[in-house]
Amino acid sequence: MLSRREFLRHSSLLALAPTIPGFLAHTARAAAPQRDARVLVVIELGGGNDGINTVVPYRDEGYAKHRKALRLPAERILKINDHVGLNPSMGDAHKLLESGRLAIVQGVSYPNPSRSHFDSMAIWHSARLDAEERNSLGWLGRGLDGGPKLPKGAPAAMLIGCGQPPVALRGRRSVASAMERIEEFAITAGADPRSALPKTEFPDDLRAFVQRSMLDAYTTADRLVEIAGAKAVDGRYPAGDLASRLRLIARLLKAGFGSRVFYTQQSGYDTHSGQLSTHAGLLFELSSALRAFLDDLAAAGLADRVAVLCFSEFGRRVAENGSQGTDHGTAGPVLLAGTGVKPGLVGTTPSLLDLEAGDLKVGLDFRRVYATVLEDWLGLPSQAALAGAFERLPLFRGA
Amino acid sequence: MGTTARSPETEGHWAPYEPDDKAPWNLRRVVHLHRRAGFAATWGEIQRDLKDGPKASLDRVLAGKSAVEGVPKEFQKIANLLGESADPSGDPGRLKAWWVYRMIYGPDPLGERLTLLWHNHFATSNVKVEDLGAMRRQNELFRKYARAPFADMLNAAFRDPALLIWLDAPANRKGHPNENLGRELMELFTLGVGHYTEEDVKEAARALTGWTVVEDKFEEAPARHDAGLKTILGRRGPWKASDLVRMLLEHPATADRLTMRICELFMGEGAVRPEEVAALAAGLREHQLDVNWAVEKVLRSQAFFAEGNLGSRVQGPIEYVVGAARALELFDPPSSTLVLAEWTTRLGQDLFYPPNVGGWTQGRAWLTTRALIGRANYAAALIEGKQVGRDLALDPVALAQRHKQAANRDSVLNFYLSLLLGTELSSAWRERLAGTLDSKTWPDSVALRRALALILATPEAQLA
Repeated sequence: MLSRREFLRHSSLLALAPTIPGFLAHTARAAAPQRDARVLVVIELGGGNDGINTVVPYRDEGYAKHRKALRLPAERILKINDHVGLNPSMGDAHKLLESGRLAIVQGVSYPNPSRSHFDSMAIWHSARLDAEERNSLGWLGRGLDGGPKLPKGAPAAMLIGCGQPPVALRGRRSVASAMERIEEFAITAGADPRSALPKTEFPDDLRAFVQRSMLDAYTTADRLVEIAGAKAVDGRYPAGDLASRLRLIARLLKAGFGSRVFYTQQSGYDTHSGQLSTHAGLLFELSSALRAFLDDLAAAGLADRVAVLCFSEFGRRVAENGSQGTDHGTAGPVLLAGTGVKPGLVGTTPSLLDLEAGDLKVGLDFRRVYATVLEDWLGLPSQAALAGAFERLPLFRGA
Repeated sequence: MGTTARSPETEGHWAPYEPDDKAPWNLRRVVHLHRRAGFAATWGEIQRDLKDGPKASLDRVLAGKSAVEGVPKEFQKIANLLGESADPSGDPGRLKAWWVYRMIYGPDPLGERLTLLWHNHFATSNVKVEDLGAMRRQNELFRKYARAPFADMLNAAFRDPALLIWLDAPANRKGHPNENLGRELMELFTLGVGHYTEEDVKEAARALTGWTVVEDKFEEAPARHDAGLKTILGRRGPWKASDLVRMLLEHPATADRLTMRICELFMGEGAVRPEEVAALAAGLREHQLDVNWAVEKVLRSQAFFAEGNLGSRVQGPIEYVVGAARALELFDPPSSTLVLAEWTTRLGQDLFYPPNVGGWTQGRAWLTTRALIGRANYAAALIEGKQVGRDLALDPVALAQRHKQAANRDSVLNFYLSLLLGTELSSAWRERLAGTLDSKTWPDSVALRRALALILATPEAQLA
């Protein structure tokens, strides 16, 4: 039995129903986060991340044997266990691990790995090994094709960055959009377009819909300005492009955006020379931005809805080259972050002694990670997307 | 053209429009015609058509001669120059700008609307084709066959290199089938979902093997063709691509799909009943899928001009962007077509980059949060000028004066409401615009510009 106060609150909302924005009406009903409200954020590490100096097998004899200039001293490595630890720059990632929000899938690749940036990235995007099928549709686009249509026409996937959405997001019917700056939601028109809306709702269904959609849109714009302005609540992010883009994603999520997948890129990992400091800088940027993002989402009550996947097109060679760098290699780690993730190490740490022509042997097929993310996190069918059934991994809690 | 007098389209469905008291030939219907079959008309074009009546006006629209204002004498020459210089530039923006130029300054807006229909129907994206020249040639193909019998369009489009690359035709060969081309041919370009099986798709892929692109040109490569027997749509034979195309053209469902496209373009929400759609499809079948026949039938019909079809369709981004520029006669100095193309992208329609082979989802789906904010911003930008590459802001008082509608504030407002929305100044409108216009400082161009931007940001202005 509703109290009078509750009833009045409820009924006043209903009376205003035609003229209140759609998302406010939704929050009045306060639904629990549903399976299909889950979001995936993908961070593509472009260039080929040196997995060996990211998730460091510091006790493996091969490490000292193959790396001199690039060998990270054991005492500085952020230990995960007796054998493996994180690059010293990844303090924030280590904290995520300790707070149960990071999973590290080790030795990920695919049969007959390609060492071409272009080809290997195309394989990761399309989940297809056949050369002729790599520039068509992507694993996420195809996965989203198999899912429900989003309300209010939000694009299923969003690239946060410039240019066209990447192959990974291309579906047969699902739509991926791209945006770069939050300013795209700012009303720059001189006069407030809200004054162009009539005071009561149109009797005609189509006009009423347009009116409601406009009200929704302007309210979202306001909300985004409010979110951006609330510095304390907006989260403390480090400097840098990746952090800005993750912050933009967080703002969109706080404003109720319906997209299920957000995709962004961090490039610079192709460290053929002078690797140590460049790599440290990139990993620091990645770790600190990732933690700031997850903490921001937690503060906004969104932590359980978002998982972050970080991958690179290949790892690097075990032995360093003559320029204090490394050349293109094979297997590498995939990181998954979020409160919904089952924290810890997954898979076997690749041996640095038992190699395949100087490269790490292939461990886990990346499509197993994809199958797990599609099915266990996003609730989407994976077989058509991956052109096959791939055994899932224990990457998510309660899966 | 021999149809009997008793064929479905003359028995009530699609009967020709004859103006009467219930559906007079008035400003509202003239504005409606040009917004559906073009990119909005200027005041002069509206007045001309009001005077000349529906038959003459439709004759002009169908003949590709309805746009007169702003059309330069050497339009085709300029357009060709713009198009040809886009290819080597490597800048997709230039190709988009070329097409926007054609839409604003060309004499045949119906032709451009139909070209856009085909770009959406055979939706090919340069994101994969990566060849501006090929995209432009595809666009010219759509323009050339825009009103042709569908057999001509389909046969040409299905040999277009951009489309074939987009749908992996070169990868589809004997022993190594790729179903992309065959599936989309059946699902999107002809029959539609539900009229074929997965087996048909597999066999269609085999029939299409060898249909490829070599050195940017279409080629049928016999060595790659699987010449074996196939069963497609219940018929068995050593089918090749041309056989498959012929079978699909003959299949009754293709007429239904084309009818859907034509109604999607010209008819608004709830403006056409299933039996009318079926009648049009039957007529298309009887007329060998002659698109021009169907377009003319619809545009000249009572149904097209019925009250229920007025203001009942959501304008897509291109129509919204180009229509506003045309109606406000912003021809000279011109806005930057490059920038206008960026605006249509911002509003959700990126020319030459449809989101996927299914094309753009139309109707209410256009009105996303970003798009609606973008429309309000565009309206202001277009009118003020600077943000669309024009040094000069629109002079709204001068425009109204030129058309002798500037006697007082109300007549100016009435002029713009008529021009932009086909409606008149009412008390409800006066109320909405009152805040922006102070009669004490009349004529006030600054305030009037703001009012116009607001008019273009109303719900009514999103519909046509």
